Amino acid sequence: MSALTMPLPGTARALRLELKRNAVPYLLPLLAAVFYFNTLRTADGFPPVWTLRASVISAHMLFEFSAFAGGLAAWAGSREGRRKTLDLVATTSRAAWARLSIALAGTLCWLLLAFLAGVALLYGRTAFQATWGGPPLWPVFVGAAGVTVVSVIGFACGVFFPGRFTAPLVAIGTLLLYQAGMHAAQSLEPGQAAYALLSPADAPPIVDAGIYHHVPPDRAVVQVMLMAGIAVGLLGALGLAPDLRRLATARSLASVRGAFARGDSWLLRTIAVVLITCGAGMAATAVSLAGTAQPDTIAGGWEIPALHSSAVDRSLPAAQACTSLNVAGSAFQVCVHKAFSFDLKEVAAALKPVIAEIAGLPGAPVGASEVASISGGQTVTSGMAGHPPVFTFTADRVGLMFGQFLGMPDPAAWRAGFQMGLLDAFLTSQPGAGHPAGPTRSGAAQQAVENALLTAVGTSPSELGGGQMLNGRPNAATSAAISAATRRFLALSASARRAWLAAHLSALRAGTITPAQIP
Amino acid sequence: MNVTLTDVHRSFGKNKAVDGVSLELGPGVFGLLGPNGAGKTSLLRVLATVLPPSSGEIALLGRDPRMSAARRDIRRRLGYLPQNLGYYPSFTVVEFIEYFALLKEMPTSAVPKAVAAAVERVDLGPKAKAKLRTLSGGMLRRVGIAQAIVNNPDLLLLDEPTAGLDPEQRVQFRSLMRSLGENATVIASTHLVEDVGAACSEVALMSAGKIVFRGTPGELTARGEGHSVGDAPLERGYSAVLTEARS
Repeated sequence: MSALTMPLPGTARALRLELKRNAVPYLLPLLAAVFYFNTLRTADGFPPVWTLRASVISAHMLFEFSAFAGGLAAWAGSREGRRKTLDLVATTSRAAWARLSIALAGTLCWLLLAFLAGVALLYGRTAFQATWGGPPLWPVFVGAAGVTVVSVIGFACGVFFPGRFTAPLVAIGTLLLYQAGMHAAQSLEPGQAAYALLSPADAPPIVDAGIYHHVPPDRAVVQVMLMAGIAVGLLGALGLAPDLRRLATARSLASVRGAFARGDSWLLRTIAVVLITCGAGMAATAVSLAGTAQPDTIAGGWEIPALHSSAVDRSLPAAQACTSLNVAGSAFQVCVHKAFSFDLKEVAAALKPVIAEIAGLPGAPVGASEVASISGGQTVTSGMAGHPPVFTFTADRVGLMFGQFLGMPDPAAWRAGFQMGLLDAFLTSQPGAGHPAGPTRSGAAQQAVENALLTAVGTSPSELGGGQMLNGRPNAATSAAISAATRRFLALSASARRAWLAAHLSALRAGTITPAQIP
Repeated sequence: MNVTLTDVHRSFGKNKAVDGVSLELGPGVFGLLGPNGAGKTSLLRVLATVLPPSSGEIALLGRDPRMSAARRDIRRRLGYLPQNLGYYPSFTVVEFIEYFALLKEMPTSAVPKAVAAAVERVDLGPKAKAKLRTLSGGMLRRVGIAQAIVNNPDLLLLDEPTAGLDPEQRVQFRSLMRSLGENATVIASTHLVEDVGAACSEVALMSAGKIVFRGTPGELTARGEGHSVGDAPLERGYSAVLTEARS
């Protein structure tokens, strides 16, 4: 007898039947539609950066899959109760635990297969667009653990509370649980309830997550540990399901004794109790580890000392994609991280006219380069760095270009923001500073000059509302003075503007010039 | 003996469903008669190892069902058709029977043949690939019988097996019971005394949890002589015994 014609073992044949007659395939089209509109479209709005794209697995994909997984598993778990086959199956020799496990496995196989197919589609599309890096696996592990644990919870609910309403109630309960987890995770701050770290639901990470620093897997590890613990514990509880059912209906001591006398063998019960204990232990360990979480001082996010590896703290090797612009006869190099090289042309095109306006002036940058948006655990903003100065900008400026990320789909607004960032840095920071610094945000005169320069290169300051450099909202008189100064300065010829800037730039940066002094 | 019950009791709260039943049964078809609430279904559930007895001794197929390993062995050799058959509507006839064959831990190589044989024995061959949701009540009953006999059981427990079957199917089923009873112990609980008369070699009549008559169908018929209630001789015997038990 060849391997192909050899009969499958009983368990495999039963599993084949469960797979064949499972309810999951009937709902796959609906799940696929929700996946497309919720997960895939959201991911398409993100820049093709692996970590960012992978974040939709826990933030969106798990949301829809959990509801479906919980409901469908509860439907499968409640089958014997709903269809009134409890007596019939109770007279068969295969252990109830094995029977229930096969039914659970049938549902879980379909759900995990659908989940992995979704991940494959998501990662496949990203692979075609991404210009640097590779697919992160921890989000997949967390997602698969999430689908598994919700399935086991749903199945257990179905077994212990069989009824036609169990499945929808579990699905709704899962959605509410997920929302609560998302809310807790988004409002999480140092010193607050760290258990929120255990929720796989999370807000999108920073745009350049995972490209300058490793993403520490600490949080993912405790999440998987917690979910695996719950799943293992509930699997053990399923082993005691017949005993627990009989106990629930026992009305006397004799009935209780009888309940224990009729169940599966003591060996199986012992294994079930061991699984429950191990599961509870794993879950408790995960909760206690999450309680020790501290903000990650290297790359942001969270680290768990007991799980943290110092290897993760090392910065990733710099990988830049650069292009050289010819501005006023000299070269101006624009660099972005390779992960954003698809945006290099747009970045260079946005910066070029502004660079042309300020080239040769004191403190004017000789290049532009993307830097990490988190450095030493602190948020970095655009600024000037080095000598001669280089305009440094962060990935959140670059990433804005891509689709709907952070709700800013308009390329004109992105372009205006980028140019304004360069002028902010040029007009406010002192040349020669050794590290990136943000704008000082002071001075109506600086605002007037910035508005005039932006208008001169064809960008309307109103794209960003104007008044970006001022502290607070200007009063009517200040606004009028800024507008008048902007108009006057714009009316000058380009050479006159450059000459005035060359003479007054230091005073302008120092904030000692008023709008009225602008020619 | 395949079944040995000694003073078996089974109570639900204060209600004594089975009240001191003692039986010894070997191969053959044994009819269990009685009015509603007499305790027939409870006794069958005790015999099917679904319910533990509140007290008393039970040996099935020579094994003590209180022991886990023995109970598993008994269940491998047991067939059970409950009064209300639960089923999975999306399964086909063959799949449902195969599922139970696998749950009864039959050797996997023997399952396809056993399933095909069980389907043929209940005359469901043309409907073998039909989904259960498309079958009539009588056909579902036959599916239930097929799953009960798929493992060629040594102890077959049938609760109202002919309910929902048409007359032709009932005649066929009685024949099937007789052939099964040649090697196995078949216990059929029923309201239909004509089934007992036609198929059973021995009969017991239950009332209020007790066995109030045990004998052959002929002996039960004889008890009805001179009794006026009932259309058929066996019904008159049934009625006479019950009247006597209640008085």
